[in-house]
Amino acid sequence: MEFFPLGNAELGIRTFLTSVHANDQCGSDGLPLTPNSIKVFGRFQQLKDITHPNLCRYVDIARGKHERLIVVQEHYKTSLATEANSGIYSCISTVIRLAYQILQGIDHLNRQGLVHRCLSPKAILIDGVGCAKLTNFGLYTMTDYGTSVDFPIGSPSYLAPEVLASGRLPATLQLLSSPKTDVWSLGVILLELLLGIELWSKLNMASMLKQVICLLQSHEPVQDIAHSHGVLEKLKNVPSSLLDLLTKCLTVKANSRPYPSDLLQHPVFAEEQLAKVPSINGLHLFTGKLRCRKLELPPVNDLLAEGEEAEDMPTDYLAERGMDEVYYLWSLAGGDLENELSKRGMIKKKPPIFMQPNVVLQNGEPFGQEAHRSNTLDETVVCLSLDTLKDRLKEVHPSIYFPLLEELKPVLPMSPSMSDLSATATLPLIIREKDIEYQLHRVVLFKRLLEGYPYKRSQIWREARVDIPPLVRPYVWATLLDIEGDVRACYDAIDKRTATATDRQIEVDIPRCHQYNELLSSPESHGKFKRVLKAWVISHPQYVYWQGLDSLCASFIYLNFNDEALAYACMTNFINKYLHKFFMKDNAAVIQEYLAVFSHMIAFHDPDVSNHLDTIGFIPELYAIPWFLTMYAHVFPLHKIFHLWDTLLLGDSSLPLFIGVAILKQLRTNLLSFGFNECILVFSDLPEIDMEKCVQASIHFFRSTPKSATFRQHARPKTKGEKSGEGRALYTKDALPLADSEGERCAPVSARDLFEPWCGSRPPRPPPADPPPARSTIQHPARPGALPVLVIDVRLSEDYLRGTVPGAVNIPFASAFSPDGGLVSSSAVSQLYAHRGRLVVVVGNRGNHAAQFAGELVAIGFSKVCVLHNGLDALKSTGLMSVPRPEI
Amino acid sequence: MAGRGTAQRPNGAGAAGKICQFKLVLLGESAVGKSSLVLRFVKGQFHEYQESTIGAAFLTQTVCLDDLTVKFEIWDTAGQERYHSLAPMYYRGAQAAIVVYDITTQDTFSRAKTWVKELQRQASPNIVIALAGNKADLANGRMVEFDEAQAYSEENGLLFMETSAKTAMNVNDIFLAIAKKLPKNDQAGGGAVGQGGSGSRRLDEGGAGSQGSTGKCCK
Repeated sequence: MEFFPLGNAELGIRTFLTSVHANDQCGSDGLPLTPNSIKVFGRFQQLKDITHPNLCRYVDIARGKHERLIVVQEHYKTSLATEANSGIYSCISTVIRLAYQILQGIDHLNRQGLVHRCLSPKAILIDGVGCAKLTNFGLYTMTDYGTSVDFPIGSPSYLAPEVLASGRLPATLQLLSSPKTDVWSLGVILLELLLGIELWSKLNMASMLKQVICLLQSHEPVQDIAHSHGVLEKLKNVPSSLLDLLTKCLTVKANSRPYPSDLLQHPVFAEEQLAKVPSINGLHLFTGKLRCRKLELPPVNDLLAEGEEAEDMPTDYLAERGMDEVYYLWSLAGGDLENELSKRGMIKKKPPIFMQPNVVLQNGEPFGQEAHRSNTLDETVVCLSLDTLKDRLKEVHPSIYFPLLEELKPVLPMSPSMSDLSATATLPLIIREKDIEYQLHRVVLFKRLLEGYPYKRSQIWREARVDIPPLVRPYVWATLLDIEGDVRACYDAIDKRTATATDRQIEVDIPRCHQYNELLSSPESHGKFKRVLKAWVISHPQYVYWQGLDSLCASFIYLNFNDEALAYACMTNFINKYLHKFFMKDNAAVIQEYLAVFSHMIAFHDPDVSNHLDTIGFIPELYAIPWFLTMYAHVFPLHKIFHLWDTLLLGDSSLPLFIGVAILKQLRTNLLSFGFNECILVFSDLPEIDMEKCVQASIHFFRSTPKSATFRQHARPKTKGEKSGEGRALYTKDALPLADSEGERCAPVSARDLFEPWCGSRPPRPPPADPPPARSTIQHPARPGALPVLVIDVRLSEDYLRGTVPGAVNIPFASAFSPDGGLVSSSAVSQLYAHRGRLVVVVGNRGNHAAQFAGELVAIGFSKVCVLHNGLDALKSTGLMSVPRPEI
Repeated sequence: MAGRGTAQRPNGAGAAGKICQFKLVLLGESAVGKSSLVLRFVKGQFHEYQESTIGAAFLTQTVCLDDLTVKFEIWDTAGQERYHSLAPMYYRGAQAAIVVYDITTQDTFSRAKTWVKELQRQASPNIVIALAGNKADLANGRMVEFDEAQAYSEENGLLFMETSAKTAMNVNDIFLAIAKKLPKNDQAGGGAVGQGGSGSRRLDEGGAGSQGSTGKCCK
């Protein structure tokens, strides 16, 4: 997470069209060719991470109709093209400083493996303090070196001769441009500044190109150019060191032209080198870099000066927020990139009737309409107006921008709009995610908290229970998954290249995984998928690649597109936490146990559905494997997975079971009326699930279930850091043989759960925030004694009278049921009926009477029935048993 | 994986007369186009980026054969070798199977042969097996010769067609050919109709004769 405030920058957008594949063209694999716009969309993403004081930041890219792409980038209204004749550059030292700044920008690009390739005065913006910032530097890279677009890249008069010389070739056949091409462009730009003229401006394109290419014959190109423009005498005023720099830049043979990094060492920059301020790289989470590097206080004098100013000048708080944040809010405030372009007439819409072709061949190829692609490249930059956004935020109190984190009881900041915010927190998630003020508040708060991670871990957890703003989701998820340390170094150390036996499987799965998504369907993303999956397989020798891992990986790749290492780390921790042992070569036992517990939970929470599904033989094996193996990532589209996992990550490894129960509950009416075929059809093509309801219901189920009921032998053993069983082995359900829980309808619970309240104290859920956030509306019973548990002792009444669980009632198994399956009435039975819907624990001896009894209860529709694990024998030595009070 | 149970539909009493139900299973290496074949057959659709199948998917389709209505209950299985242990749950009690390979990959053909062997050994003795060489639209990348596959099919008594889920070539035909080949003599008895194709015999094999216990009693 890096933080680059908007400052006095604007957000500018520019647009271009990618080339279109011929109709119906397929690759060798039979799949349609990836549209170029998708390709560019994927390649663009890396640019968002490029930050340097002399480079404009890329903020976003969007795909429009007809293979249109719209790029959002930091922008300034003044550029070298507008300022060149303003007279500032008549001063030699200003030119030198400019050259140095440009070179630093280019050098930084080179270090990231990029070449600008369209450097021109228009591509050099000048910010408010006169600092040069290169823009549009990603065009060459994102268009796959020009191969994805029909237009040539670069301004002809600034292009190096070797680029122009290969100009007639299609982009796919051209050699990749080296960083040295930018050096030539810089040379031309500097020469223009020093000569005060625009070179070759009076020539037409053909003669201009000819002139430049003819320079290949020249021994003194600088002099020759000046001579041909009749301004040779102006060169005499140029200091020799600068002239030397120019000569080096304008070396015609690319082989002997220096690299930008070489030029930075040129003696002409001696002064600049001394004055160079090391750039701040922003805040990086999850790396080995020191964060305190940024913690440098400005000198006191500056602070005082600012303080005086602030009194009479209202501060623009929004300008102090990150560019990505401002853009995010701008979009929420109704911003639409395509719309902005249409307003400027940059997208001309024709009524569809005029777009009809005259002739269409049988293969679908249209004729008779010129392609509507007049403007494949438009160099205009449109600035996004932030007025609407500022207007929407003008009521926001400054304290929202500076949340205090150390208050004991965090409350929403008081402000004129305060009442809105606390009301918003109770609205449905979909609305909260669209509310500008609310999102601003949440994003600011989360960014502050993330900066304090891991120190602020518990507070992040608390806030995440309310909701997670989409903008910060990648980092919040990483913190919820306890990512720490230098993830990049770990990831880089893994061999992701050596071919392995699973490569084929991974390769056939990736192009089918969430491909409706434009980011995940790009070739760039396929490469990431492959590397992350291979890295995981190779660093987990105890596990193997199962189909489904790809789906699991998808949301992490999507969220951390520019940080494979973090995506990998998140996936690894996620699997460790929720899918322990699921990906073993032989995972039959693990999955069987999981599904058995799932069956218990269905019976526990919805006996009717459980009875019906049992009757028609519709077992979880037939439908629930993809649910649990991928934690629903194979079943739902990405946007739903995000909301589901936002909650999933807050729970322990049993929460997914309850999500499954919640899904069944939502489909309940249908399921109860359906037979086997209809049921399985429902699950083969899952109908729309209301995710928020599903999440709420699963939390409710989670909280109303005794912890030990979801005990799994194959679950991940608790690590030292987590709350352990406090050494009371007697009470825990250790080593529950699998055969026991399988085949029984009801979940076994431990004695500990019987005597202690299970709710509220389940790690890793921190105590609810105060005031309770939207999700913690379910209150837990305050005292253990108040728990509404009914214990039924099914032993013979003699045994019962000798000692039982305090408060237990006796319904001896042998005489409990009438031949028709109903309960024989007695006072204990009426107590049981009165207790219906609340927790019932059936206890007995070691035999399976208790389990049978519990099963019968489920069969006649009792919910929340479980059985005491190991029976009363487990309690005999504890002194917890007592003699029941005689019946009155 | 979870190897218990049989994915056999325990039917109630079926409709009268001329409806036959058959359980059909699709097997084959992953990404050969099993799900695509079913999707084309059942919904007439084709998705270029058909998602991978985990576990299995289930669909039904009815075809008319002269005066007979044949209802296929299709189990579309996961292709990855690791999911192999689940397969018996699906092919047990199936009256028909389509083993699919991709004509552009030799390995998928070898895998198909392995499936055929396994079916011959472990599935119902009367199972009708069809071999489908899918992705016939990619014939210029062909790695498995038509004649080779046909000869193999004749040796093993399999139905054989090259299909293309993308162009719909031979998709309906292969299902129809299976429907024709399936024994329907048992169907005359009304009660057997609902019990799926050739009646209770198969259910006994699956061990799932009675309702309610289907999922648990067979190994």
